[in-house]
Amino acid sequence: MMLARKLRLPIASIIMLVAISAPLLRAADSSAKVQLNVDKAGPRAVEGQTEQVILRDYRTARTSLAQALEFNTLDPLEGPFVGTAKKRLTDTVTSQRSTGLSSRYADQNHKLEAVFYAPEGDVIELHDTAEYQLQVSDGGKSIQDQHMVVHYVVLMTPAADRWVIRQLQAVPQF
Amino acid sequence: MPGNLSDHSVLDNSVLAPPAQPASVLDDSVSADAVLKGSVLKKDFALKGRGFQPRRKYRKISRGFSRWSRMAATRVGCWLLVCALAVHLCSVCAAQDIHPPTSASAGEDTHLTAAGSGKATFYLMGPGVSSKSEVELGQEVRIPAQNVRNAGNYSAILCSDTCRSATFYVTPAPPATLTFLVHPSRVPVGQNDAVSGVALPFDQFHNLVVAPHEINFQLTSGNPNLMSRTVRTQNGIAWFRTNSGKNAGVLQVNASLDAVTSRRAVQQVASDPCNLRIKGQRTTKGIVVETELVRDCSGNPVPDGTIVTFTANSDNTKSSVDAPIKRGIARAQIEALGAATISAASGVVMGNELRIGAQP
Repeated sequence: MMLARKLRLPIASIIMLVAISAPLLRAADSSAKVQLNVDKAGPRAVEGQTEQVILRDYRTARTSLAQALEFNTLDPLEGPFVGTAKKRLTDTVTSQRSTGLSSRYADQNHKLEAVFYAPEGDVIELHDTAEYQLQVSDGGKSIQDQHMVVHYVVLMTPAADRWVIRQLQAVPQF
Repeated sequence: MPGNLSDHSVLDNSVLAPPAQPASVLDDSVSADAVLKGSVLKKDFALKGRGFQPRRKYRKISRGFSRWSRMAATRVGCWLLVCALAVHLCSVCAAQDIHPPTSASAGEDTHLTAAGSGKATFYLMGPGVSSKSEVELGQEVRIPAQNVRNAGNYSAILCSDTCRSATFYVTPAPPATLTFLVHPSRVPVGQNDAVSGVALPFDQFHNLVVAPHEINFQLTSGNPNLMSRTVRTQNGIAWFRTNSGKNAGVLQVNASLDAVTSRRAVQQVASDPCNLRIKGQRTTKGIVVETELVRDCSGNPVPDGTIVTFTANSDNTKSSVDAPIKRGIARAQIEALGAATISAASGVVMGNELRIGAQP
């Protein structure tokens, strides 16, 4: 009895800690791992600093996309996406809200390859081979949990202080 | 086990089996009993020498038979259960088997088929769309055109007892517009690789058309056709780079893909002045110098506002005056009493030297 009484407090603490950290762990899971290869980019060569910035901004964009579609919120889409890409993601979130669906992108792994960089540096085309676990739920009930490998054609353009995604389009193959 | 059973059956048939019992049943029952109880046969064999007790043995066989019955029933029951589960699973799988469209084009009605019977919930998830509807299994599930306007991958999910999903791709419609980026907007004439353009074909739903298409680029300045080049798109992009023309004025840059055309204009301006020549004369107020019509090496008048610097050297004094070109000519007045040597420069181009005598 004494031992059980002594153990009660640590066990309760552990349970509380797990309960508190669970959402944080879940949020961290939506972060994306991105690798970028610019060797085949042309006709303009991608400068080292540009490469780092594109890598940073694409990773941010994919993490924001995952958060937006998981929690059905539009805020994460402000900034990383413009034009058609933003419009489509906004439409997805809006329709998910109305149908009570949500999509969770877990364990995201992106292999990016720059295939075109405009002569004046005003647009870059990337090929993204993305792997992730897609979990779709309807009102909290899981209706799909599938490992996906999707090929994306991505158009990014420079904005005031970052590169933004203008087009994000899945294709059967490159 | 089979070897043991046959050995035991010989023994059991001769010693233990009552005549009413079928041999095979006895074989199984005794051997099963022996297996289960361990030393039953050894014990019974030992008892044989000391005096056989048929009633006890019969009880054992009877008990063995009832156990066999129970085991057999259990085994059959298990198999039946497994079969029933398999049949149920197969029926569930078949009931929700989805056959997505093999090819679907953006903005066109498409459909998929779902085998089975009864009702199910159909979800369609794709770029810009997330829909949910009730469908009848075994019938064609129609996907309206407005749900597949955006090219990309779609997930079709069908849920009744369980959920099954299939993915399919929607490809872009034929090109309807050309996004055309041309640089720069203003370019000096006669420059190498100074004009570049990038064209991206999009369909009417703003999908990038990644399938290869031939785009014709044309550059015209006035009447002469400066360049005409056909470039095949790669990954949805075609581009060119070329020299600027020889004449100042508007450079029309066209990109066309079948009936789709996109036009841009580049202002070609004169390049740096060439052969800068000046003339001058002394007046009561000093020396007035002016250039001839300032032109570039291609003969285009240099734009107004271009600065020409006049420098006068006289009696160990040096003075400079900057004058903008107005209507093609730059003019300045220099205060110099004595004889002076005057020169002019614009950018990196030097003009002729002019000697003006002292004031009389």
